[in-house]
Formats: sequence, structure tokens, C-alpha cells
Amino acid sequence: MQSVTVTLGGGGVQVVLLPGLAPAQAEEETEALEEGPSPIAPEAKELLWGIGAFVVFLVLMRLVLFPKLKKGMDARYGKIRADHEEADAVREQALREVADYQAELDTVKAEAASRVDAVRRQLDNERSGRLTEVNQQIAEQRAAAATAAEERRAAARSTVEAAVVAVTTALVERSTGRAPDAETVRRAASDVMSVGASS
Amino acid sequence: MESLSRLIVEQAGLNADDQKAANAAIGAGFAYGLAAIGPGIGIGYVVGKAIEAMARQPEAAGMVRTTMFLGIAFTEALALIGFVVFILLGL
Amino acid sequence: MLALEFPPINEVIRWKDLFPTFNKVALIGCLAALIGISIFLLAGRKNPMVAPTGVRNVAETGVEFIEDQIVMQTIGRDGLGWTPFLLTLFVFVYLCNLPGIIPVLQMPATARMAMPLFLAVIVWVIYNVVGFKHNGLSYLTGMVWPHNVPVAMRPLVGLIEFLSNIVLRPFSLAVRLFANMLAGHMLLVTFAVLSNAMLFAETKQVLLKPMTILPFFMLLFLTLFEVLVGFLQAYIFTILTAVYIGLARHPEH
Repeated sequence: MQSVTVTLGGGGVQVVLLPGLAPAQAEEETEALEEGPSPIAPEAKELLWGIGAFVVFLVLMRLVLFPKLKKGMDARYGKIRADHEEADAVREQALREVADYQAELDTVKAEAASRVDAVRRQLDNERSGRLTEVNQQIAEQRAAAATAAEERRAAARSTVEAAVVAVTTALVERSTGRAPDAETVRRAASDVMSVGASS
Repeated sequence: MESLSRLIVEQAGLNADDQKAANAAIGAGFAYGLAAIGPGIGIGYVVGKAIEAMARQPEAAGMVRTTMFLGIAFTEALALIGFVVFILLGL
Repeated sequence: MLALEFPPINEVIRWKDLFPTFNKVALIGCLAALIGISIFLLAGRKNPMVAPTGVRNVAETGVEFIEDQIVMQTIGRDGLGWTPFLLTLFVFVYLCNLPGIIPVLQMPATARMAMPLFLAVIVWVIYNVVGFKHNGLSYLTGMVWPHNVPVAMRPLVGLIEFLSNIVLRPFSLAVRLFANMLAGHMLLVTFAVLSNAMLFAETKQVLLKPMTILPFFMLLFLTLFEVLVGFLQAYIFTILTAVYIGLARHPEH
């Protein structure tokens, strides 16, 4: 009959295999087994089965199961990362296109604005040119009219002066019987008229 | 404790082996009870401080949690040794 | 008077051999390994390029949990090669803890000293081998005669370090898992026995039987609690292993 004594001491375990037991000892042993295992001491069969199960699990996991799972995970994550990068690239390109379009739009807008400005400036120039021309014409005409009026007035005045001189000369001749000095009469008439004209 | 067990044994009219067992049982109860006091306070302190740290710096919560579990594990070991002694004595 | 006959602790964790040298704890250990292998086998068969569902999702969550929450937090990026070992450790311990709350099985395999003990010994061997491999003999000398403490303190600190590395770490690793699971198991047994005794008590008190609901709800609550404890203990066992491996690689931290 094989029996095992296991003692737990400070982190290590001592397993002593006892090859055979005297009959009396064996009886004691079976009685102890009837009572149940010690709650603290490990049992050899549990220890060995546990080690076996764990080592098989560990070796399989290390060599087969984990690498396969991890490879799949890495592949998927790699694909997801690549897809992300692709999406980023596409987004960047789209943004660049939008920026290009915006720039084009801006140049076109600027050109249009400059054209409008040029036309407006031209129009302004034309208008001011016309305006000055017209003003000039008006001023010329006004000046011509003013000179004409002045001439007419001077003519009318000389006519009136001559008439006044003639009338005055006739009056003086008639009243005094003697012809007055023509120069005096004309000066007097001119004085009177200029007073009248100025008043 | 000794006198308590002697009183129990005399009252029940038990022999010396029974008295030894009664001593062991009482000792086991005290062993676990006393062993639970320190770690109880210690774990409370560890967790309280960890919560404080997490509330102050939520971005460091993962690190704090890991360290908290480590601290709890080390503190708790004392109580568990008390529990093992309880089983050994109460056997 | 309520006669509550609590079974002796040996009876609670004693299981008849299913056949010689094979009992329930061994069965749970083998089942844990088998279930773990089949989960990862089935997960590996699924198409990896589509979004993971079902068993593959479970496996990948486990892998990412180990990588992000355990390896990256303790060893760092160059420790990612330890992921399969830590993943195996975590899955095995968790699947050994879980039967504590599964009806019919009702026994966490880690509540027997054998399971935590051999796991702790494996971890002990691994982190010491890693230490010697990465630092040569200075792993041992740096442990016994640390250079970053004052000379007067070195014998004391060295002794503490040595004891902690060689004796206390595997001991506390094993005892922590074992005692946690055994304590949880005992709690469940206590409330189950109490519920049973109250329900079937031969008493004339009318109120006693309806009051069975109190320990019964405690039993339910503790069962939920044990789910959490099972996960937490597997996590702590794994993260402590990772911490020890990390410390053995770079002892100056």
C-alpha cells in the first residue's frame, strides 16, 4: 500500500512517499481517511491532478491557443487601423479639394470684384467728364449771354444818351436861343444817367 | 480564558481532553477575532485613500485601482493567516 | 431551543473518491482546464476579421484584460510575452473558484490547499528563474545585500528581502487564495445549514419557520458576493504574479 505524507512548511512542501506500512499503521491510515482530509494539508492526488491539468492548459495555451487568437486579433486591429488611416487619407484629400475649390472661388470672386470696380471707375470717370463738359458749356453760354446783354445795354445807353443830348440841346437852344457846348451837355447827361443807373 | 474553559468543563463534568478542546475552540475564536481587527482598519484606510485619490485625479483611476487591490491583498493576508490559525486550532 | 448541528469542517470539504486517486477537487481542476482549453479553441476557430461575438468575445476580453489591466500596469510593454502564462493562470484560478457557487459542484477547488499550493510553487519557480535570467547572480546578491540602503541597515533589509522573496511571497500567495475561498465556502455552508435547521426545526414557535427567509436571503447575497470574490481573488493572484515577475526583472524598483 502506497502512502504519502505531506508537510507544509514555510513556502515549500515536502512530499515523502512511504513504500509500505505495517498492518496496524494501515488500519490507522484508513481510519484517518474515514474522518476526512485535513483542511490545511494538501492531498497528493489533488496536487498531481491539478498540476497535470494546469500544465496541459498552460502548454496548449502557450503553443497553440494564444498565438492563434492573438494573430487573429492583431490582424483585425491591423485592418481596422489601416481602414482608419485610409479614411483619414480620404478625409484629408476631400478637405484639400474643398480648400482648392475655395481658393479658386476666391480668385474668381476677386477677379469679378476687380472687374466691377474697373467698370465702376470708368463709369465714374465718364460721368464726371460729361459733367465738367456740360458745366463748361453752360458757363460759356452764360458768359456769352452776359456779354451780349452788356453790349445791348451799352448800345441802348448810348442811344438814350444821344437822345437825351439831342433833347437837352434842343431844349437849351430853344430856351436860351443859343446852342450849348455839346461836350458839356453830353457830360451832364452821362452823369445823370450813371446816377440813375447806379441808384 | 483558561478560567472560563475550566468553569465550562467543571459545570459539564468533562475530562481533561475535553478541556483541551474547549481551550482550543475559545483560542480559535479569539485568534480570528483579533486577527480581523488590524486588517479591517487597514483595508478601510487603503480603500478610503484610494477613493480620495480617484476623486481628486479621475484620469489616474486605473493606476490607483491596481495599487489599491495590491494594498488590499497584502493587508488582507494577515487576516487570512488568522483564519488559517482559526481552522488549525478549531480542528 | 434550536438544535444547530454544524458539521465538522472536515465533513464540509470531504469528498468521496470518484475512483481511486480522483476526487471532486481533481475533477474540478480537470474541468477548469478543459473548459479553458475549449473556450480558447472555439474562439480561435471563429473568423477573426469580423467583430468578435460569443465565445471569441469572451476570449478576447480576457486577453485584453490581462494585457491592459495586469501586464501594462505592472511589468510594462516588454512584459507582454507573459500574457499567455498570466492568462492561463487567471482563467484556471477563476474556473477553479467558480464551482463554489455552481449547484451540484458546490465546491471551489481552490479551497483545498493543493491547488493554490502548486500554483504558488510554479509562480515562485518562474519569478526566481526570471530574476536569475535577467540579472544573473546579482539577483541573489542584490536581494541579500541591497545597494540602495545605508550599510548599517543592509543585513536587516537583506534578511527581510530574502525572507519575503523566498518564503513569504509564495506562502502568502497560496494562503491568500486558499483562505479566501475556504472562508467563502464556510460562510455559504453556515447559512445553508442555518436555513435548513430553521426550516425543519421541530418547534412549537410559529415565527421560527417564516424567519428562515432571513438566513436564506443572506445565503443568496453571499452567493453573489462569492462571484465577486472568485473574480477578485483570481485577479489578485494574477496581478501579484505579474508584480513579482516585474520585480524580479528590475529589482531596483
